[in-house]
Amino acid sequence: MRIGRRSLIAWRWFVVLLLTYSLQLITLSGCSPTYPKDKIKESIIRLCKKEYKLDVKVETVGKTVAIYLPLANLLDFTFALTPEAGEKLNQVILNVTRVVLSTDAKYNFYCLMAHDVKIPEIQIVIIKSVEDVRRFILGDISRGEYSKRMLIDMRVAPQAQKERAVKDVFSRMNIDNKWQESVMQDFFMSDPATLGDIGYWGGKFYVKDVKLDEFLAEQIANRFRLSFRDNKILGGALVLKLVKGVYIAGTQASGGSRYFRIEISAEPTTAEGFNSKTISDELFAFALKTSYDVIHGYRFEDYDYVEIKSINDGRSSTVLKEDLDNYRPKRTKIEDVMVFDSF
Amino acid sequence: MLPQKFKVWLMYLKLYKVRVLIAIAVIFLITAAIWGMMSLESFYRNQTLAMMPLQFIMVALNALIFVYMYMTLFSSRWGGASKNTKMKGDVVNVKWSDVIGMEAAKTEAWEVVQLIKDRAKVKQIGGKIVKGLLMLGPPGCGKTYLAKAIATESGMPFLSMAASEFVEMFVGVGASRVRGLFKKARELASGYGGCIVFIDEMDAIGRNRTFSQFGGQETNSTQNQLLVQIDGLQAKEENVIVIGATNAPEESLDPALLRPGRFDRKIYIDRPNLEEREKIFAFYFSKVKYDKSLDIKRLARKAVYKTPADIENIVKESALITARDDKETIEFRHVSEAIERIEMGLKHRRNLVPKEKEKIAFHEAGHAVVLYLLHPTEDVFKASIIGRREALGVVHHNPREEWFTHSREVLIANIKTSLAGYVSEKIKFGTTSDGCASDFRKAMAIAHGMVWSLGMSNAGLVGDYGLYGTTGHTSELAESTKEQLNKETQSILQGCLKNVEDLLKKEWNIVEHIAGELLAKEELEYDDIEAIFKDYGKIQTQS
Repeated sequence: MRIGRRSLIAWRWFVVLLLTYSLQLITLSGCSPTYPKDKIKESIIRLCKKEYKLDVKVETVGKTVAIYLPLANLLDFTFALTPEAGEKLNQVILNVTRVVLSTDAKYNFYCLMAHDVKIPEIQIVIIKSVEDVRRFILGDISRGEYSKRMLIDMRVAPQAQKERAVKDVFSRMNIDNKWQESVMQDFFMSDPATLGDIGYWGGKFYVKDVKLDEFLAEQIANRFRLSFRDNKILGGALVLKLVKGVYIAGTQASGGSRYFRIEISAEPTTAEGFNSKTISDELFAFALKTSYDVIHGYRFEDYDYVEIKSINDGRSSTVLKEDLDNYRPKRTKIEDVMVFDSF
Repeated sequence: MLPQKFKVWLMYLKLYKVRVLIAIAVIFLITAAIWGMMSLESFYRNQTLAMMPLQFIMVALNALIFVYMYMTLFSSRWGGASKNTKMKGDVVNVKWSDVIGMEAAKTEAWEVVQLIKDRAKVKQIGGKIVKGLLMLGPPGCGKTYLAKAIATESGMPFLSMAASEFVEMFVGVGASRVRGLFKKARELASGYGGCIVFIDEMDAIGRNRTFSQFGGQETNSTQNQLLVQIDGLQAKEENVIVIGATNAPEESLDPALLRPGRFDRKIYIDRPNLEEREKIFAFYFSKVKYDKSLDIKRLARKAVYKTPADIENIVKESALITARDDKETIEFRHVSEAIERIEMGLKHRRNLVPKEKEKIAFHEAGHAVVLYLLHPTEDVFKASIIGRREALGVVHHNPREEWFTHSREVLIANIKTSLAGYVSEKIKFGTTSDGCASDFRKAMAIAHGMVWSLGMSNAGLVGDYGLYGTTGHTSELAESTKEQLNKETQSILQGCLKNVEDLLKKEWNIVEHIAGELLAKEELEYDDIEAIFKDYGKIQTQS
């Protein structure tokens, strides 16, 4: 006869059952990863095939996933990427992104290698950080910043170059071809040491486990290259010939220090050349700012200093980690943090 | 025949169909949501889950804003659903034994309870089923309490609503609420075998209907709906009993409501008698700490004409005074102060010149002496020269027992008591003040009523001459008769004045004594006053 109490009991039961039901549904089906770590390769291959009818090959090295995509018309006669190829590359990138984000395996980078089946020597290599992709999807970084963070390189496959050189030498020296393969395997087709050596040649992946430090060094150089022309002072005064970024980690030569070395080769377009201190200073300031943006963008701490070298005018500068840390937050002037010397 | 348990579940489904639908919808939505989540890749699933707490907060905030706006815009005053309908079952929990101080009403109500319980038996015999019960009587006498006890005793659900909640400015809203109330009652009755609908302050919708073009349609339509719901044609007759309660006289209610088949039974719940008051005092004192030497019988005697609500109020007020007095238990003086505060208001001390204070003391002493020595039915409860409200002093008196009629002697005693202040002032100071204005008004009104309406004049004039005034035929009353009536009125007043003068002169030493005590203490309790009279060898007049 107790309406109030019965109603209360019914309500409580309903809430308890509802919670149990929801919890069961969530735990039974909602907590497992979509792509288990032991099925990463199959997952990427299956997705590309199923959704875009693309045949890809996949390899994993350490915490890096490498994907090889052969295409019929990768480049046009101007050696530019065709729109169709661009679309297919995006489709593969999307699938790889889905898989690496929804797996229980911890992958830090993925490399997409694509080449034209007619000219396999020319390859496009795209290296992306998984964390960058995640942050972009979550809206933590902008689309512009996201594009700057990926490494895109069109190059002749290093292994192809080596093979051609070996074949040429064997041919000229008239050596038996049976030694050719052995020599190439032993000396020229060894595992890649730098990001520049990554490629796919002769049905084989040449991939290394990408480390954040080398990725950042390469990204500094890449960003410098991309933004150089937009710089009002530098764009008109210098022609950028080369920029190279490396991370040197505690070698004997470096005295155990860990640092980024940015080497810049830029030729002046005016007679004044590097005699103008303003231009030279701007070059260093620009390199420093780019380094700061990249290193702090990733909150990278494992370095002692950044070394910037201008090959053409022989100037060199090092910026200590502490000074670089203070550079932007405390609005320290560039001349206060840079120590110049000549080499 | 469906099993009882199934019937109860069916009733629940009917009663809470909206809730059941909502519950099903909630289960469906949760299933769909989880199903949808399952189809997401784990990264996007985690992303969605991570955002859920924020979404919950946002949804809760939106809901709060919506509810606030809904309540502001669509509250019941704009014709929305009535919020005050209360549904109670055994939780009412007022036991029959808890109802005290209305034995006659309880006996009648018990019969109704038995009829409600044995409905099937009554139907089998072919007897008439009780559909309504109307409880009449002064406010605070326990009508609602008795209704709750009936609900508990019969073991039926109890729907309570004040009739004023039906009344709205929009025509049709009240009727709609009556329909809603009875719909709910019938649904409950289908599961529990019966339901009690209690409508308090019945006169709000039950007064005589007006058939004029200048309004009243809303009340009429509400009442019409009530009549239909109590005794109208229904698809299935459920055991719904309506209990109405009102303080209004029975005549003011619409005859259609009172006819057999609607409110078949009428129970008059009157103020409690001496014995009942004693029980009520004992009941409320049992809930507080009180001095065991406190004479509850004496308090019951003092609380003549008090309702149970008044008695409860007296005990509560006494507890407050005790707490303020920093005492552990309620003493007689606390109760006395509580009664005084309730009846006379809070003390209001004025700065009086000694001469005026003396005048007031003698005025009140005159009242006290005459009341004590001449009044056949009243006790002096307290004499005071501390101002309360408009009065500068007061002699508070109480009837010793309920009298529902007043004899000539009592009325004469009332006149004498009223005139005593004037006489006392005159004897002591040789002059009088305007302090006796209200006394004269009261004395004159009684004397006038005795002569003009009650046939109590010395000249033997009988009949209610006041009727000439009320029926608008004053011209029919002869001037000589009016003159005679007025002379008789004055004769009674003069006679009383002479008697009071003689008495006070005779007992002037008592007047002086009481006045002196009042000047010294400002207030005298019943015991103090009685002690003074005893000192002079006087005993109180008994009826």
